[in-house]
Amino acid sequence: MSDLPTTLAVTLLLLAPLVAGGLSLLLTSSRWLHVTNLTSIGTLVAAEVMIARSVLEQGSLTAFSEIVYIDALSSVILFIIGTVGLACSLYMRSYMDEQVARGVIAPKRLNLFFFLFHMFLMTMVVATVANSLGVQWVAIEATTLTTTFLIAFWRRRESLEAGWKYLILCSVGISLALFGVVLMYYSSLRVLGDVSSALNITQLQQVASQLDPHILKLAFVFLFVGYGTKVGLVPMHSWLPDAYTEAPAPVAAMLAGVLETVAVYAILRCRGIVDQAVPPDFTGGLLAIFGLVSFALAAFFILLQHNYKRLFAYSSIEHMGLAMVGFGIGGPIGNFGGLFHLVNHALAKSLAFFAAGNIHRRFKTVEITEIHGLTTVLPWSALALLIAGLALAALPPFALFASEMQILTALGSSGLPGEWTQPGTRFPIVVLLFCSLVAFGGLLYRITSMVWGVAPADIVSGEQWSVGHVPIILLGAVLVGFCWALPPPLQQLFEAASTLLVNR
Amino acid sequence: MIPSIGSQLVDLGSALLLLTCFAIVAQRRLSACVDLFALQSVFLALTATLVAFLTGIHHIYIAAALTIVIKAIVIPRILKKVIERLNVSRELVMHINVPASLLICGMLVMVAFLITQPIIPLGHLLTRDSLAIALAIVLIGFFTMIARQKAVTQMIAFLVMENGLFLGATAATYGMPLVVELGVFFDVLVAALIAGIYTNRLQDAFDSVDTAHLSELKE
Repeated sequence: MSDLPTTLAVTLLLLAPLVAGGLSLLLTSSRWLHVTNLTSIGTLVAAEVMIARSVLEQGSLTAFSEIVYIDALSSVILFIIGTVGLACSLYMRSYMDEQVARGVIAPKRLNLFFFLFHMFLMTMVVATVANSLGVQWVAIEATTLTTTFLIAFWRRRESLEAGWKYLILCSVGISLALFGVVLMYYSSLRVLGDVSSALNITQLQQVASQLDPHILKLAFVFLFVGYGTKVGLVPMHSWLPDAYTEAPAPVAAMLAGVLETVAVYAILRCRGIVDQAVPPDFTGGLLAIFGLVSFALAAFFILLQHNYKRLFAYSSIEHMGLAMVGFGIGGPIGNFGGLFHLVNHALAKSLAFFAAGNIHRRFKTVEITEIHGLTTVLPWSALALLIAGLALAALPPFALFASEMQILTALGSSGLPGEWTQPGTRFPIVVLLFCSLVAFGGLLYRITSMVWGVAPADIVSGEQWSVGHVPIILLGAVLVGFCWALPPPLQQLFEAASTLLVNR
Repeated sequence: MIPSIGSQLVDLGSALLLLTCFAIVAQRRLSACVDLFALQSVFLALTATLVAFLTGIHHIYIAAALTIVIKAIVIPRILKKVIERLNVSRELVMHINVPASLLICGMLVMVAFLITQPIIPLGHLLTRDSLAIALAIVLIGFFTMIARQKAVTQMIAFLVMENGLFLGATAATYGMPLVVELGVFFDVLVAALIAGIYTNRLQDAFDSVDTAHLSELKE
């Protein structure tokens, strides 16, 4: 049930990016484009706060005759979309203007960038609030279509290559997910009859235990492979490092922070239904094994990187893998850890890409070996890079340490789900600890070599204060703060969401 | 149980779809590949219309009409234009040659039947066998994507996968909810447009749309 203010909030949530996208196409001055962008994202965040409040009061809400379904889990995802989106918009204020001033992009193409950015935001919001699994699929495929040109926005050879690779791999992956959705519908029709609401989460949740387990198992495998491509799980990850390297910094931050999270959310939604008919060890085992393999491989790839954007890309694969392990193990600790890890990773990774964007603009290179002495050249960005790096290496006092500890604790106490390992075996936890040590070493070694040392002589020193520094400071503060104290409303929201995941 | 004429006709339609898949895999000329894809879309629309007629579910007619318009007319035109502009007519280098590809596709069909074995008896009587064929088409499209290099062929492979999915949706569930189906059509159309723009830009940047040249981003 929904009351008027909530309906209004949901309408704003969906309309803000749509209207802003349309306006962006008409506007030409960079100033007004930024104003539209900030207004739209501000509206989005305000609407999200209202929705989160009523979700906390009512548990879940539906709107527009059950087209929209929002519960605590989707509110957490909306929170991530809003926070990272706002940070990106503020950052873009200085980033995009500088790119125009330097002549990297023609002023005329700026509105195309904003149009695609808004469409990207909208498709992600739709994917998060859609009640129907089919609509969710359509929205997630649409995120691929809106982002591919954002990735290829510089139009250099490498960026075109990265954009094409991303388009093809993700479209193929997501097609497999559509087969999963078809199978899901196939199973629910047998119970619910031929009604178009038979793909709605609200309907499926009620009848989930009567659905045919064979079909659901097959459906989940397809859905997991499909959306897993979007998450960037090994072995479907090969598009990810290229895309993150070539994309403009704010886009890379959105991809790493938000898009991956939305894909994880899609998997969790389907899992919630499948688990009621199939023993949870089946889905849990798949998630945990793929998560562990992604985590382990990405940790070693971190050691090999000599390009700092690729370094962050592999660290994304690593952290997503870890969150998947958490969700796979399940239980209160595993799920809360996984969810909290998603949030922290989104914040830390966008901070990392903002810093990387500043460094790239000054040094004009992505090679780690050519960058030294950031503390003198770009003191603020150096600090941001250091905070993001330490957080991503999961060092205390950063929040990622807390969530990583929770996942480790869950793994230690319940082991990997399913028949994959003998009960009581210590092997997975040893792998996890060893690989996090490898990733920790690799990340810190690379980042410290960039931050300290003597700067190359031909690089101008000194950092001018700009609007782009506001999100950097805020994200840094939040990352440190979250480890000490989570604001009570947020904590309630996370707890409600992980309870949803546990009980299903 | 004697299968009815209707279900035999649906099976025939699905089999024709599968047959065009094999023809696409065997065909080296790009424009012929596009024609075959258009033909496959026509078969798909016919099968869907047949299902709509036999079951009396009206929204399948809409989907069938959209298939004709978008997949048999609009998208083939876009692809033909791309081919014309690019001056590429043949798939020259193949990772896997045609006979081997066909053999692999044959195996994929068997795999598809094997996977769907446990769930087929649960389906509608009319279309139950088409689900296996649909999965086979999806897998063949997937394989073609990997085995062929030209951007246009990869695009056709993606569209073939979509055709397979649509057949699957029609067979297993008598069509997805209309809003979802419209969304899927929209996505496919936009994807085709975007791929068209890409081939253009790739041509400008690399003087070729052979994706084998896309190898600057290596470890």
